[in-house]
Amino acid sequence: MDTATTTCGATATPKDYSSALKPIWCPGCGDYGVLQALYRALAAIGRPPHEIAFISGIGCSSRIPGYTTAYGFNSVHGRALPIAQGVKLANPDLQVIVAGGDGDGFSIGGGHVAHAVRRNLDLTYLVMDNQVYGLTKGQLSPTSPKGLATVTSPLGSLEEPINPLLYTLAYGAGFVAQGTPAEMPGLTALIEQAIRYPGFAFVNIQSPCVTFGQEEQQMRAHKAHLRPLASLGHDPSDQLRALDLARSYGKELHTGVLYRNPNPPPTYDALVRERQRALAPEAKDRSRLLDVFLQK
Amino acid sequence: MNSLPCSPGVDFKKLSLMEALDLAVTVEEEARDRYVELADALSIAHTPEASEFFRKMARMEEKHRVALLTKRRASFGDRPSTVGRLQIFDIEAPDYDTVRVFMTVRQALEVALQSERKARAFFKAALAETTDLEARFLFAELVAEESDHEAYVLAELARQATDPWGDPPGDPADYSDEPVSQ
Repeated sequence: MDTATTTCGATATPKDYSSALKPIWCPGCGDYGVLQALYRALAAIGRPPHEIAFISGIGCSSRIPGYTTAYGFNSVHGRALPIAQGVKLANPDLQVIVAGGDGDGFSIGGGHVAHAVRRNLDLTYLVMDNQVYGLTKGQLSPTSPKGLATVTSPLGSLEEPINPLLYTLAYGAGFVAQGTPAEMPGLTALIEQAIRYPGFAFVNIQSPCVTFGQEEQQMRAHKAHLRPLASLGHDPSDQLRALDLARSYGKELHTGVLYRNPNPPPTYDALVRERQRALAPEAKDRSRLLDVFLQK
Repeated sequence: MNSLPCSPGVDFKKLSLMEALDLAVTVEEEARDRYVELADALSIAHTPEASEFFRKMARMEEKHRVALLTKRRASFGDRPSTVGRLQIFDIEAPDYDTVRVFMTVRQALEVALQSERKARAFFKAALAETTDLEARFLFAELVAEESDHEAYVLAELARQATDPWGDPPGDPADYSDEPVSQ
């Protein structure tokens, strides 16, 4: 089990990040545990709420910004990543955390993931993967297992699911991890490590849908079938082994850091700032900005 | 370091009485907050009876927390706590996945029973690890108190069984947990 890097002596407490708004998720939903782990990870890091921004799309898990005291934007379906990239570029000092579900991230928003990964902005992307569209009452989602019968696949799905771990690793994400609220200390530590990683960090959180999810995807099953990567002796700097382990998504519940780039490259936001500094001496006065475009 | 899985970073071998009291206060605080959280979720989800029972449990945990805090203040004054919420995970707090919409009071009692047993097992394990004599006495006391709480919940469960208006055991049959077309 990975442990959090900051515990004793932190001045922030999990309650500092909890808003007065009460979650309206179904009782028993995995997202309650994810939210608790998130509060704890933020307290361990200790940055004040006004230095953090949560950006989400649409879905049950996308309600997270409202439950924190940080800045938040519950945006449109599948567009959390482009908006988060804009927020980070406009204010690079903000700690930007993106939250959403598997449908939001890998169906309607699927095209954005590859670009967020390749740009490598310093963002933390938390996907609460429940393998179903829960908010809209149980339709097939991009990570639903093949054969799953839902209201939109009454005879069973004919499609192979998307593999979020392989997807992000294949595009070159510098930090890829998987956790579950069935193992809270580990999940808290993963979220903390993802936030601390200097670059695009992805955490796939197996967060069961208690109302429309399958029995084998519930927390009780998670507790019984957890396979912590640390217990397998996995070295998170081994990208090839990470790719190999990621292939077992949907069959094995591996938890922990699959891959962490030991030499993180400069982030896109850092490169943009560098270029801004380089161009600053020749920058035109703002009042004369139109001169660039208008011929005299 | 001798730490237990749900309390990473707490070294029981070196735990003093003050640290043991801080740990116990934090455990009760976490349990109180979780019961309130679960009660709120059930109340929003139109499950008022189980919600009310969890509020009662939250009051019980708060009473226990205050008693431990009073003992701590009497011996150690207002010295800052040595144990924080980042160091304990679901020791006495019920797991989030133990609750369901439309759960009965009997089912809520069973959740509380598991939590009290979980807490007793934790303090028992702590007792086995700790070497400080005063801290050991405290943990032995906590094991006994958690047993008392367990007895209270068991008595409530027995009362439910004899109450003609009580909830039947098992899953209530009057709701569907399968996807339904809307």
